[in-house]
Amino acid sequence: MAYEALDFYDIDALLTEEEKMVRDMVRDWVDKEVIPNIEQACHEGVFPDKWRVDLGEMGILGAPLKGYGCPGLSYIAYGLICQELERGDSGVRSFASVQGSLAMYPIWDFGSEEQKNHYLPRMASGELIGCFGLTEPDYGSNPGDMITRAEDKGDYYLLNGAKMWITNGTIADLAVVWAKLDGVIRGFIVEKDDSGFSAPEMTGKHSLKASVTSELVFQDCMIPKDRILPGVKGLKGPFSCLNNARFGISWGAVGAAQSCFNSTKEYALSRIQFGHPIASFQLVQNKLSWMLREITKAQLLAFHLGKKKDDGTWIPEHISLAKMNNVDIALEIARMSRDIHGANGILDEYPIMRHMANLESVKTYEGTHDIHNLILGKHITGIQSFTREP
Amino acid sequence: MAIGVLLKQVPDTTAKIGVSGGRVDESAVSKWSMSPYDEYALESALKLKESSGGDVVAITCGPARAGKMLTDAAAVGADTLMHVQIDGQDSIDSTQIQSVLVAALEKAGCEVVFCGKQAADTNGGSTGPGVAMLMGASCVSHVSEVSADAGGYTALRASSGGAERVHVSAPCVFAFDKGLEELRRPNVRGIMMAKKKVIETVSPEDLGVSMGESRVTVISHSPPPEKPPGQKFEGADSVATVVSKLRDEANVI
Repeated sequence: MAYEALDFYDIDALLTEEEKMVRDMVRDWVDKEVIPNIEQACHEGVFPDKWRVDLGEMGILGAPLKGYGCPGLSYIAYGLICQELERGDSGVRSFASVQGSLAMYPIWDFGSEEQKNHYLPRMASGELIGCFGLTEPDYGSNPGDMITRAEDKGDYYLLNGAKMWITNGTIADLAVVWAKLDGVIRGFIVEKDDSGFSAPEMTGKHSLKASVTSELVFQDCMIPKDRILPGVKGLKGPFSCLNNARFGISWGAVGAAQSCFNSTKEYALSRIQFGHPIASFQLVQNKLSWMLREITKAQLLAFHLGKKKDDGTWIPEHISLAKMNNVDIALEIARMSRDIHGANGILDEYPIMRHMANLESVKTYEGTHDIHNLILGKHITGIQSFTREP
Repeated sequence: MAIGVLLKQVPDTTAKIGVSGGRVDESAVSKWSMSPYDEYALESALKLKESSGGDVVAITCGPARAGKMLTDAAAVGADTLMHVQIDGQDSIDSTQIQSVLVAALEKAGCEVVFCGKQAADTNGGSTGPGVAMLMGASCVSHVSEVSADAGGYTALRASSGGAERVHVSAPCVFAFDKGLEELRRPNVRGIMMAKKKVIETVSPEDLGVSMGESRVTVISHSPPPEKPPGQKFEGADSVATVVSKLRDEANVI
């Protein structure tokens, strides 16, 4: 059966022809390549290399970036891509988010002309995989106190420290790493063969199993001088990247929620109990109606935020609200879907449990749910509540 | 050289089809797509262009919604797009459609024509042979591959118990079956280019075709009969019954 996306308020009518074509291209790819293979990929704990090749060939990596071989699409199109990828699996969307928003974007915005020409075309084509090193074992929500240090040794920089929870780390050809140089956070491009650099994979995840998660370890890692990102100093650098990735997540979560909703609707209509489809019972209808309501609201948030990204009228707090809300409702919809699927909901025959476990990570990474509330709390009151210091 | 590809937009093969009032309810079709055999025709036309040069001219005859399919064709590489816009296809017979398509092919200067062996909605299979007859062209059907060579084209087609290679010279029509080749996917660059492509929209009159009266009347459509419900057997006592049904009714053992 063809996938029929829930679009209760006809948001399709607000999309350009180009946006719809890009969305349909990714939708078809997810139906043909991701959904039939995702359970095996999760079981094996791998991100199939064919997906990297396909994403590159479709030309959707670094979607909203212009020039240097990048696609130059609208933010709405970027959102739609994330939505469709995450309808398949959050791990696939994570791959694209990290490549585009966290690795390509900082090079595109803060890199030198040479760096842009050297890396971006091959990252857009999927030939080079990038990752992003900000979070450390002891510094997650509070990246400003990071320990990783860079020292200027005259001819090169010397990098020491460790990063953790790094998507794509082990399979990456390059890492955009944030480290303190003379007390100021700076971005460095580390290549996989640099001496003193290793990226061991983290194992044992019950979530994002088809996504590679790694540590990045720097032990007297020597970085050539021309690999510092010249265009930015301080937390603004990593935070600009995170804004774009969080934007993509706010759309991606809608995709995961739609996948759960579709499976649930179909299941409820075909599952007979007490002589009738369970979809005919009021408690189940109430849950389906709640899902429809929340998905529709989340779609409108994502769409309007996309418009604001495209016309440049957004502020980071807008993104916090959409990321927080949309992941929150997607997770709640996944849980509710599991409930309606009964015991069947725990099987890999249905996408429910996988989305639910994935969304637990998505709720936490790229700014936890609570941190986004604090960002909004500060916006409302003018008082920051992140730290006890004045 | 212009390679004409005839495309038809049909309800997606996975879309639900509803019949109301003795007619397929088109407004209830959730997704319209390029007819699958036409996709293979387009793919092969693009391959022929890549190996031997030429322009791929994608032509469709159908209502306004079919224009989107031409843009999809451009996204994978079609060079020129022509849409003969007609509504109420139900009251037009296949000979009328073929005469319009032939006029469009003439206008575009196509002597080599690719199409699907049949459309996924009507399964008529008359377009290829019908167009060939009106053009005075050779027609090879159930084709899976075409290559250009001295003096014409060689087509690979299924034959009873194997495959057959057939050589023809232009003008010629190839009606495609599902090929072995994987269909190409669009990419963002193709979509951006497709967006800039202008679809030449014409009416049959613009092409100098007088449609005349249809000689065929579709009396009614009806949905296929509902499948009988599945049968359930429980307990060890039913083993003999299940085995006999699998052997005698389902013929699977």
